[in-house]
Amino acid sequence: MDDMPPFSRRDLIGAGLGLGAGLILPDGALAAAKPRKGGRIRVASLSSSTADTLDPAKGALSTDYVRHYMFYSGLTEMDRHLIPRPALAERIESSDQTVWHIRLRKGVTFHDGADLTAQDVVWSLLRHKDPATGSKMAPIAEQLAQVKAVGSRDVVITLIGPNADLPAILAQSHFLILRAGTKDFRVANGTGPYMCAQFSPGVRTLARRNPNFWKAGKPYLDEIELIGIPDEVSRVNALLSGDVHLVIAVNPRSTKRIMASRGHALLETQSGLYTNLIMQQRQLPTGNPHFVAAMKYLIDRPLIKRALYRGYATIANDQPIPPFHPYYRADLPQRSLDLDKAKWHLQRAGLTGVRMPVYAAPAADGSVDMASILQEYGSRVGLKLAVNRVPADGYWSTHWMKHPLGFGNTNPRPTADLLFSLFYKSDAAWNESGWKNPRFDKLLLEARGEADQARRKQLYGEMQGLVRDHCGVGIPVFISLIDGYDRRLKGLYPVSLGGLMGYQFSEHVWWEG
Amino acid sequence: MAGGASQSGMKAALTLIGKRFASSLLTLLLVSVTIFIIAQLLPGDAAQEALGQSATPQQVAALRHEMGLDRPAYVRYASWLTGMVSGDPGQSLVANMPVSDVISERLPNSLLLAALTALVAVPVALAIGIGSAMNRGGRLDRALNVATLSMVAVPEFLVATIAVLIFSVKLRWLPSIAMASQEMGWGDYLRGVAMPILTLSVIVIAQMARMTRAAVIDQMDRPYVEMAVLKGVAPVQVVLRHIMPNAIAPIVNAMALSLSYLLGGAVIVETIFNYPGLASLMVNAVTSRDMPLLQACAMIFCAAYLLLMLIADVTAILANPRLRAQ
Amino acid sequence: MIAHILSQAKALPLSGKLGLALVLFWLAVALFGPMLAPYPVGAFVAYDVFDGQSAAHWLGSDYLGRDVLSRLLSGARYTVGLAAAAAMLASATGTALALTAAVGGAKVDEPLSRFMDMLISIPSKIFSLVLVAAFGSSLPLLLLIAAITYVPGNYRIARALAVNLAQMDYVQVARARGEGRFHIAIAEVLPNMIHPLLADFGLRFVFIVLLLSGLSFLGLGVQPPDADLGSLVRENISGLGEGALAIIAPAVAIATLTVGVNLLIDGLPGRGKRA
Repeated sequence: MDDMPPFSRRDLIGAGLGLGAGLILPDGALAAAKPRKGGRIRVASLSSSTADTLDPAKGALSTDYVRHYMFYSGLTEMDRHLIPRPALAERIESSDQTVWHIRLRKGVTFHDGADLTAQDVVWSLLRHKDPATGSKMAPIAEQLAQVKAVGSRDVVITLIGPNADLPAILAQSHFLILRAGTKDFRVANGTGPYMCAQFSPGVRTLARRNPNFWKAGKPYLDEIELIGIPDEVSRVNALLSGDVHLVIAVNPRSTKRIMASRGHALLETQSGLYTNLIMQQRQLPTGNPHFVAAMKYLIDRPLIKRALYRGYATIANDQPIPPFHPYYRADLPQRSLDLDKAKWHLQRAGLTGVRMPVYAAPAADGSVDMASILQEYGSRVGLKLAVNRVPADGYWSTHWMKHPLGFGNTNPRPTADLLFSLFYKSDAAWNESGWKNPRFDKLLLEARGEADQARRKQLYGEMQGLVRDHCGVGIPVFISLIDGYDRRLKGLYPVSLGGLMGYQFSEHVWWEG
Repeated sequence: MAGGASQSGMKAALTLIGKRFASSLLTLLLVSVTIFIIAQLLPGDAAQEALGQSATPQQVAALRHEMGLDRPAYVRYASWLTGMVSGDPGQSLVANMPVSDVISERLPNSLLLAALTALVAVPVALAIGIGSAMNRGGRLDRALNVATLSMVAVPEFLVATIAVLIFSVKLRWLPSIAMASQEMGWGDYLRGVAMPILTLSVIVIAQMARMTRAAVIDQMDRPYVEMAVLKGVAPVQVVLRHIMPNAIAPIVNAMALSLSYLLGGAVIVETIFNYPGLASLMVNAVTSRDMPLLQACAMIFCAAYLLLMLIADVTAILANPRLRAQ
Repeated sequence: MIAHILSQAKALPLSGKLGLALVLFWLAVALFGPMLAPYPVGAFVAYDVFDGQSAAHWLGSDYLGRDVLSRLLSGARYTVGLAAAAAMLASATGTALALTAAVGGAKVDEPLSRFMDMLISIPSKIFSLVLVAAFGSSLPLLLLIAAITYVPGNYRIARALAVNLAQMDYVQVARARGEGRFHIAIAEVLPNMIHPLLADFGLRFVFIVLLLSGLSFLGLGVQPPDADLGSLVRENISGLGEGALAIIAPAVAIATLTVGVNLLIDGLPGRGKRA
């Protein structure tokens, strides 16, 4: 959508956890190919269950995000460089980053034929503040002080404080726009590129091209059948046998097989996804800084990258901003496996010979194997770690953040501010290790309202240093996302927000079969 | 056969059915109570699972209220039970639709898969079992014995994965996932379920064949069989006319047990082939803590088991005159 | 005593001898395997994953670059031990309850039989899923799950045998003599059903080995870095496409163990009905 005006510079502050995406496939590579219309594909996502939903606010898994982006559109959308672009909003502007004016695009209709109005937008945004909605974005929606319709095409959003990232926030799938008053989520009534032909939770979603889509000429495919194949080996086999044409979340161990097949290819997306060790700071001994330091020195990052991810990962430095992020601070020394230092810190903490349980679950990708690796090195410095593998279900409600030593898993977020506010601010609900750092909190608020990019990068840089040195979180690697696809499927490129082009492939890809 | 004998058989069967019906209701009630109690021990509830990692306490409270989870456990059980008695299994907490709708989509798939597997497995198992029994100690018997043992000895997920690698990835004969949908023709459907049937068959054929062989051999040593052999009755006739009526009770019993496995035990096959059946639905219900759905699935599996057992016993009574007297 | 066992072993048919050899081999591995393992079970010793056979790693490396032979030697005791213990527990419990039902009359028989129906009608893998989710995975729990799952099957068979035996003349005679129920069950009924029960035990053992590997597929099972044989197959399943030794070795191990147990039991003299 290059013909659309992007936001004015002023609005671009803080846009994007980007660049990593664009590096792999240059824009020029796509310009040559001309999209073709028609075709029907089957896409296999990670999981599918009775919890599948058509309510964007409840979206919890990749399958949900993909489904929602097929049927609904947002006020804004992220381009491949993670710069928010206007979508249903024709313009989104603010002079103080607190009061935002939104002008809606004209002539957009829902699948049932109704016109998109400001009322729909107000209703769609405000429902996130109602606990009964069960929105995943409830903590973010708290920033919305007021959302008001002015006439039929204008909306004014007032925030509780300045936030330059609002356009990026609104591009997330949870904030996609619904018809005001929607109660029945057995069918989808959106403004998205596809219409819902069939939705049976846990079985499949059938999407047909929306002939009245507001982007002229799009989408290209006639039909998409979205299914979930939870078992990874089965998913890859389904791709290789030609039963599906696009799969998400390929295990690095399966990449060899896909690369060996002539008709198939891999789409690697470097992302900010990470699985992290959590050392609870509110209690001892995990709250002992020497213990934290010892654990961070026990992490064999190259081994994790090689053995667990077969190279499809980026070595991390115990802070959540990946090297390909514009705000990444490159001058922080890289921490690496050092058994002597680990031993010394352990002795200083007086914990040599102690036995500690560490909780891991398949719910946090790779955590069980990471725990095994930690256990192995721990045994060499006199730390007895007992790996406690617990089932994936119930992990987040019963185990996550509830044990002195455990694992978490954090998905890529569209902005550095979101990531830090959700997971590292002292009073954040998911401050996993419970660390408290007033300096960090102050920098975070300052950066959120800061307009100058260079200064912003400096602020975020200092925060990265604080997290690396003091926070009770160990981040071994950033995990690359791998999708597999049939070579006849064209137009794919990585978007570092998630697999399947940041879950938004449906509107961009075409079929040359 | 005399009319009187078959009439007494019918009568015995009907009495049995009547008695079983009453005790089945009791068993179902027991199962529902057990499931409910165990489910109370599970960490987290449907509200927490639905909200997942990002749950806030206010949201959990609101969702609990909406799902009715803020009522005491016995009230929830009582309301489920009253609903069930009047034929309404309630509303799925997670899928936001009636449990009957969710189930009615999956149950036919499961029944069809089980039926087709039985259609393949039962004759094969009978043939193997009887064949090796008649050949007792011979070369064929030993070969079949080792074959069935090896079949039983391989984990089913390995059988399934190897089958997929060969038949769909390498040869591309069969689809690797068994999608069941309404608009599908029978041809496509059968191609889709060929490998699930194969995998399930491997498991149950081995079990059933070994039991059939044991039951037949057990009868072969009886005096009446020796008499028949001495009288010069052909071996096939001996097996069909004399041995089978007496061996049928343990055989149908064992088969019923194996077949009940085809419904609830198919979870691994359903997962690997992505077949939308009832067992994976029940696993879903457990992981999402969807109590009404879990209960409904448990009721179905239990009822299916009891029904199979009843069919086995009735068959045994009708097939064997001696049992009718009991 | 030893001479008696030896002569029994000699009397076994060839297949029975083979079974006995396999069973003894796996018993030895279960007992001494961990001591023979060349590397620690959780050590990352190979640079590459899914390595083939080499002098340093006789059975290659697994999906994380660990030594497959060491993991196999350390893992066998979980499969052998858990399955044997659970099969014994299931058989002992099932038989004891069956005897109680057989000599206790309808008042004991009815509730027990209904209870067993209830247990057996809940699919075992889902039952395990619920219990592991509720109590966390541990060896005693896995043992208990496997035992509970297979009690009803043993109960059905043992009860059928015992009810038949209880009608026999010599039991009736004992009853007429005024012997207690307990005495009748232990002294008169039990000794006459040992052989069929032994055969049943063998099959239960196989089923439990398979249940354990099925559980490992669902992510339940022995805690890492240890793994039972089924888990070893499961965790290396992505190597199947390349024919990795890491998956073939534990699969062969399971097969030889279960086939061995059954060949041995098949070879035992005087076996009766089985299920």
